Amino acid sequence: MTTIFFATDVHGSDICWKKFINAGKFYNADIIILGGDMTGKAIVPIVHQGGDKYIATLLEQQFELHGQEEVDQMIKQVKSRGYYPYVTNPDEIRELEQHPEKVDELFHKEVLKTVQAWMEYADEKLEGTGIRCYVAPGNDDMFEIDDIIRASKHVHLAEGEVIHIDDYHEMVSSGWSNITPWHTYREEEEPQLKERLEAIVKKLSKPETAVFNFHVPPYNSNLDEAPELTPDLKPKLGGRALIPVGSTAVREIVEKYQPLLGLFGHIHEGKGTARIGRTLCINPGSMYEQGRLLGAVITLNKGKIKSYLLTTG
Amino acid sequence: MERQQSTTLFVRAATGLVRAWSVTDAFIYAFFSVNLITLGLYIFSQMYYLDGNLIGALLVSTFFITFECLVYAALIAVMPRAGGDYVWQSRILGGGVGFILAITGWWFILWYWVPLYADMLRFEVITPLLAILGAQSPALWFTETPEGAFISVVIVCAFVFVYIAMGMRNYARLQKACFIGGLIGLLLVFLFLLFGNPAAFKANLEAQIPQLFGASGDGLYEATLAAGEEAGTAQTWGGGWALAPIFLAIPYMVFFNLWPNWGATLYGEVRGATDFKRNFYGMWYALIATAILGIVLFVLINKTISWDFYMKANGAFWNYRWGYTETPPPIPVWPYPALFAVLLTNSRVIQFIVILLMGLWFFGWSGTVFLSSTRVIFAAAFDRLLPEWVADIHPRFRTPINALLLMVIPSLIVGALYSWNIFNFQSLTLCSTLVIATTYLGSTIAAILLPYRKRDLYNASPIAKYKVGGVPLITIAGIIFLGFELFLLYEWLIDPLQLYGISYRNISSVVFMLAMYVLAAVIYFGFKTYRKRQGIDIDKVYEEIPVE
Repeated sequence: MTTIFFATDVHGSDICWKKFINAGKFYNADIIILGGDMTGKAIVPIVHQGGDKYIATLLEQQFELHGQEEVDQMIKQVKSRGYYPYVTNPDEIRELEQHPEKVDELFHKEVLKTVQAWMEYADEKLEGTGIRCYVAPGNDDMFEIDDIIRASKHVHLAEGEVIHIDDYHEMVSSGWSNITPWHTYREEEEPQLKERLEAIVKKLSKPETAVFNFHVPPYNSNLDEAPELTPDLKPKLGGRALIPVGSTAVREIVEKYQPLLGLFGHIHEGKGTARIGRTLCINPGSMYEQGRLLGAVITLNKGKIKSYLLTTG
Repeated sequence: MERQQSTTLFVRAATGLVRAWSVTDAFIYAFFSVNLITLGLYIFSQMYYLDGNLIGALLVSTFFITFECLVYAALIAVMPRAGGDYVWQSRILGGGVGFILAITGWWFILWYWVPLYADMLRFEVITPLLAILGAQSPALWFTETPEGAFISVVIVCAFVFVYIAMGMRNYARLQKACFIGGLIGLLLVFLFLLFGNPAAFKANLEAQIPQLFGASGDGLYEATLAAGEEAGTAQTWGGGWALAPIFLAIPYMVFFNLWPNWGATLYGEVRGATDFKRNFYGMWYALIATAILGIVLFVLINKTISWDFYMKANGAFWNYRWGYTETPPPIPVWPYPALFAVLLTNSRVIQFIVILLMGLWFFGWSGTVFLSSTRVIFAAAFDRLLPEWVADIHPRFRTPINALLLMVIPSLIVGALYSWNIFNFQSLTLCSTLVIATTYLGSTIAAILLPYRKRDLYNASPIAKYKVGGVPLITIAGIIFLGFELFLLYEWLIDPLQLYGISYRNISSVVFMLAMYVLAAVIYFGFKTYRKRQGIDIDKVYEEIPVE
């Protein structure tokens, strides 16, 4: 019997990553898996105003900070939220605003620094526990993080690999998605995505007892409903017009191979479970901004799912 | 890489980063939820025997419900996309409380709402339209017979099936179209009432009601006044402004205006306080706009129909319907102000168009009855507190067929009990409000405690900066709204003046409500035990993972 803990879309939230790493012990899981989209979406400048005074704006609230202790506290708060804190000064802010390419560089620097710190944390916490940890970066994750993950001792890069879970189960993973309105790093048209996934799945010896860990959920699975957007990315009809935005390629692959279990993410509001044929599909959703780690605890037993539970940790 | 910039935040292009949604759109759904024409007119008509001023009750209740808007906007801002009352209560008060209060308020009690929806459908849409088309007997059959009531229940269930099969996107579009059409209808009604006069109304009433419904025309107006008088109509225009009678009218009034939070949404990331304000204003503007429209409607009714006549017609209708007299009302159908307004024209075509447009208030709103309940059923299934099959989606029709059946079958049973008034089920109208208000009570207590029980979550939220005298705004708003809710519960359950009919004295009411809470508790504890045997610890669902 093997127990898996699966979470996804932590998007730079320090607290969610730490919870993920500690989830193995908490839920008595043998394996912990992160579905993708590890990296954050925003940088919050903490701007030095001279003396011991700093200004930071988080969630549209302006904070005036005095001294290093308050700055450290703000850095922690910003990281918990999934953003990257950046201590700077008014001159550098002006420079960044005038030179967008420098903001890109800054994002890269902050993202890589954070992923590096996360790997170090994981290596320390997982040492000696026997808990195996797999991650497959998602469409929002820049390619440079892969090498940092590869260098980790206890966190394994699962993209494109067949992972031997136990004697009865294997797992394949991919963080690639179909095309999104945001044109992110790991996305491609459905035919190419299907080709990619087919190539990975073909490596499996027994797909029917396997776990498919694909970032994007199957199209029209109820795990992929998101607000319909206008061309300028505003939710239509007050966010009530929900449409399926999952991948047809993923759906076709799941329908064709009928794995035991499908683990998905990508659509944060798509929390739920669904059956496609005999396959149990799970999207635990994401509440990374609130520092809550949504996840799923699944126990596999000799080619069957013994139990599963969605969690809000 | 694309990016949005501000002086305070650098954002990169990443999935899910959307711009702010329109407050107007949010307003529309909240506006439909506090539906003046369906819920409002239905419940105003039953308030004929109360002497509290309805404008006063509308204003005072709007004041208190403003705090409800604050509480819910704050909860959504702290825990967006979390799934509403069930998740908030489960996280802050515990899984058992969250499950029992949510499942009763968002699922079980909606079984009783279905016959109430059916009442509104037959009174406001089916009966007037059939009569205008000349189908007098079918029109009266729908209003007067239990069979007509029950078929209306079946029609409501069928409509909702269609709405759910349409999907949220199409239903949202339908709602927007209904909003526009419904407003045009209401504007036409206002114009009829504005340019009409009491003499013309009286003459046309006595001329057209017999044509439409076969009632006796001679002295119809006076006979209605007399029947209303006999029914104990206490409503007077301009009277009842003392606070006590106004407050005593509110437990009725909230049947219609306690629900602006049904329209609340929050999507998008990397934003903060703006979304809290958008949520609040979406709900609050709807509440205020509805109150203003309600007052305008009252004034226009009084101007042309006369408040005295309108309320006495209501008294005559409900007095007979509730079995206090065996003499049928002179006007054999529900006194629908829109129907009264279109009597001012002799054109059946215009009458038909206006009533049809007014019917859009029903069609744009009625789908929500099952949409909300299916969401709660799904959430409970995902938490393993219901079997997995309840969340199944039919592969061909793309509908949650089992969840719908769990709504429809009990609704048909409750609808039959209501239609034939078995166990006095027609007396339980306000139970529909009480049970949901109790669910809100749980969320309100959760909101009050949130800054203290989930300190980190609260401090990391965009509402943390809103404080009054150092006390979190969510706590203050919660305490005020809690006081209002406790007043409502006291009046409904204890009801010292015996005004609302659902107190402990009404055995049907007590048994019906207790049965719902017991059923919810049995499901919760039953499934918890069952899952434990399967090796699943339900308590783990909401336990927070410690960070070492």
